[in-house]
Amino acid sequence: MIQEAQPSLRTGSDILNKLQWSAGPWGKPRPAAVIAGIVIMLLLPWGLDAISFGAFAIHLLILIFGWGMVVECWNLIMGVSGIYSFGQLALYAVGGFTSGILVKEFGFTPWVTMWAGAVMTAFVAVIIGLPVLRLKGAYVVLLTLAFHELFRNWILNGPRWISYGGYGLREVPRLPPASWFGAEKTLPVQFMLGGFNIDLSGDKVLLLYYYLGLVLFGLCTFAIWRILYSPIGMSFRALRDSEAYAVSRGIDPFRFKLFLFAFSAFFTGLAGAYLTHYDGTISPVLLDFGRLINLLAMIALGGWGTFWGPIFGTALLTVLPEVLRSLEGYRNLSIGLALALIAMFAPQGLLPALVRLFRRATKGRRARQAARPVQPKEAIESLKQ
Amino acid sequence: MHVQDLFQAAYSGILYGSVYGLMAIGLTLIWGSLRMLNLAHGSLYLSGAYLAFALVNLKVVHLPLLVSFGLAVVGAGVVGFLIQFLMVDRILGKPGWDTASLIVTVGASIMLQSAALLIFGAQRKAMPVLLEGRFRIGAMLIDYHRLMIIGLGVVSLIALSLFLRRTRYGLAIQAVSQHMDAARLMGIPVRSTFWIVMFLSAALAGLAGVLLSSVFELSPTAGYNPMARALVVTIFGGLGSVKGTIWAAFIIGLLESFLQVYAGAGWALPGLFGFMIVMLIIRPNGLFGLGEMQRL
Amino acid sequence: MLLKVTDLKAGYGGSEVLHSISLFVNEGEAVVILGPNGHGKSTLLRAISGLIQPTGGSVEMDGRVISDLLPHDIVAAGVIHIPQGDLPFPDLTVMENLLMGAYRTEAWRERKQKLEQVFQLFPTLAERRNQLARSLSGGERRMLALGRGLMGKARILMIDEPSLGLAPFLIDDVYATIREINQKQGLAVLLADENADHIAGLANRVYLLEAGALVREGSAQELLKDEALLAAYLG
Repeated sequence: MIQEAQPSLRTGSDILNKLQWSAGPWGKPRPAAVIAGIVIMLLLPWGLDAISFGAFAIHLLILIFGWGMVVECWNLIMGVSGIYSFGQLALYAVGGFTSGILVKEFGFTPWVTMWAGAVMTAFVAVIIGLPVLRLKGAYVVLLTLAFHELFRNWILNGPRWISYGGYGLREVPRLPPASWFGAEKTLPVQFMLGGFNIDLSGDKVLLLYYYLGLVLFGLCTFAIWRILYSPIGMSFRALRDSEAYAVSRGIDPFRFKLFLFAFSAFFTGLAGAYLTHYDGTISPVLLDFGRLINLLAMIALGGWGTFWGPIFGTALLTVLPEVLRSLEGYRNLSIGLALALIAMFAPQGLLPALVRLFRRATKGRRARQAARPVQPKEAIESLKQ
Repeated sequence: MHVQDLFQAAYSGILYGSVYGLMAIGLTLIWGSLRMLNLAHGSLYLSGAYLAFALVNLKVVHLPLLVSFGLAVVGAGVVGFLIQFLMVDRILGKPGWDTASLIVTVGASIMLQSAALLIFGAQRKAMPVLLEGRFRIGAMLIDYHRLMIIGLGVVSLIALSLFLRRTRYGLAIQAVSQHMDAARLMGIPVRSTFWIVMFLSAALAGLAGVLLSSVFELSPTAGYNPMARALVVTIFGGLGSVKGTIWAAFIIGLLESFLQVYAGAGWALPGLFGFMIVMLIIRPNGLFGLGEMQRL
Repeated sequence: MLLKVTDLKAGYGGSEVLHSISLFVNEGEAVVILGPNGHGKSTLLRAISGLIQPTGGSVEMDGRVISDLLPHDIVAAGVIHIPQGDLPFPDLTVMENLLMGAYRTEAWRERKQKLEQVFQLFPTLAERRNQLARSLSGGERRMLALGRGLMGKARILMIDEPSLGLAPFLIDDVYATIREINQKQGLAVLLADENADHIAGLANRVYLLEAGALVREGSAQELLKDEALLAAYLG
């Protein structure tokens, strides 16, 4: 097994040093950029408030946070580590249903059941992963697809407490919760925070979801980033490109794959719960094959195997349908056309293509190197360090 | 256990197998030669079905059912060819091919689906059957139409096999699938061979669409489930292996049918799942030996 | 001049492997390109047959430029490349492999006669005609590759390393067969070879290839007599 080199963090600059040292050829964080980004995201809602469609924009951002988590986790196992699992959407549903049912039937608070959903999803992933991850690539597709179908079938035709006659869960309580173990213990929706009047009632609950989503998404993204750009992360990427090499370096592919699979499932389930409590509903329609393909498109469109690509793709495919809403019937047609065109002219993903264009305009050859997704040679070189 | 049930299960199983075979074989051919996962396959099924619907309901001229169906199948083939010619050709072999081909087919699929929605609307449509009526064997009711589906399905699969093994173009398709560079050195034009592959695969998917939409009603989202099933069958049969796919189609079809009859509809899918896991544990290389799969 | 290569440049992924190669082959000639491994022999043949696109220079066949054509059109022009490692179609039978060699329409019409000729030349292939190519031995695969090349309407046969991977007692046979094809059938042959041991009675002219460039050329008699030269270039 690879030695985990994670010295303890002490001071702030120490932390920054660790981040910089472990950051790979793609994604060296410039502290200024990161902090600026965080600040912008924190203040965004107030800015959007001024615009007429501000609330709608926040709604979109909430969706992007949730689905972004699912997509970047899927990209982690598929695009980066080469585990071609088609069960991502089903795992999302596991998280959503678990949390929803726990709240509906047992009255627990969503703040807690959210995490229960995440844990349950990770657990299910491990159970699936144990037999499946040992198999060759295409069979992982097969069996996870079979799992997807199975789960969809179950929530459609299964016992009443999960299928509700095929309609799925409805009226799933949102945050803030109503009760905990039966006792009435409401989270305050109007309170004072350091002299400011915070009001999260009614429409303003959107803000709650926004910040919660921001935190969860940030957590997930940060965790993925740490995994990818640590020595272990390099091994994960080596796994995708050459399992034989990885094995010869003492890496046990199976354990790593299982870990990644469970990790990815955890956050996917978490996102599932998060969005289920936001929507207030979850149903088998969610597991239509078409939706699965839509998620796939988000990854590939943004940039398969890259870090920010899938998130970009998610944002694009979430916002685009809304922007094009005025086209009505022709909306989907245009989206399909856009997808095809993008694939034809930017085969490696939109984000890498845009980055390449941008940097070529500003910096020339050095930029073209930086814009590539991680190639096997780099992973192997860095493993040697 | 009635002999009745046995026949019923076998009959349904062969029906499923024929349909799965029609759908899956297209995917297999495309994967084998192009190394592309054709996610537009479901919409090719749809194209065949809707074309048939349109032709059948043509007010201007009244076409015999058989002609309408035949034209629809060819039409689906043309659609597949167009996808290849207009979109996939452009990115053949370029870097990022694996995922770009995925997205291109997704894009094409969405376009076709929305076109169907725009032209025909979201309501389910009914399709006439080619042959009305049924007959009895004992207490079992057999539709002529379903019998015909089996017949056409089996005949198509046999015709395809013969084409692949006995004709110059069929052998060329196999050659390209087995070794593209060597095929080039034989003077085989790879690009146009792919056109033939896409046309054939699309036509077969279209045929499945035409046949099945008389059984299940037709709507714009009707293509996804057949494609999901086809994917399962294709992979199980050994990606790229025509023989394996046909076997897999019937094995899975029969298994599903028997499970439905003897264990109840709810157990069909879980049973299949379990069977596949066990099979893959015993034979990790798949039904006919998959060989090293480096990527999807 | 049948095949004329002028200033040909080619390479992989941005790096140039062949530097301005110029050579020619006349009707009925047997020309050998000698060079150590990794110096560009295969690349040269692949650039001529179109598997890789040249980055500069030209290739002409019968006075007609073919270097901008796709591989299948270059085959139609009569340039048949028998690649290193044979590249058989593993899951097709010997017969089917051979038939694929005659894919082009003009050749396809004559496939029955061609098959007869090939089976006469290689009786072993005739015996094994219904066997899958993957089950053939090394020597048999070599025969299959040669036979397959003969099925097309070749004006020139380009053979990459005919003795590669063969047991010594088979090697003589292979060169004898090539000699027969060239001298009895009058088919021009361009051979890429790593050593000069077997080409004595076969080659008319020899080119020496080193590090992607032609460093010597001359009649076979001259070059093969020069032991020192051969030792220096082929170690």
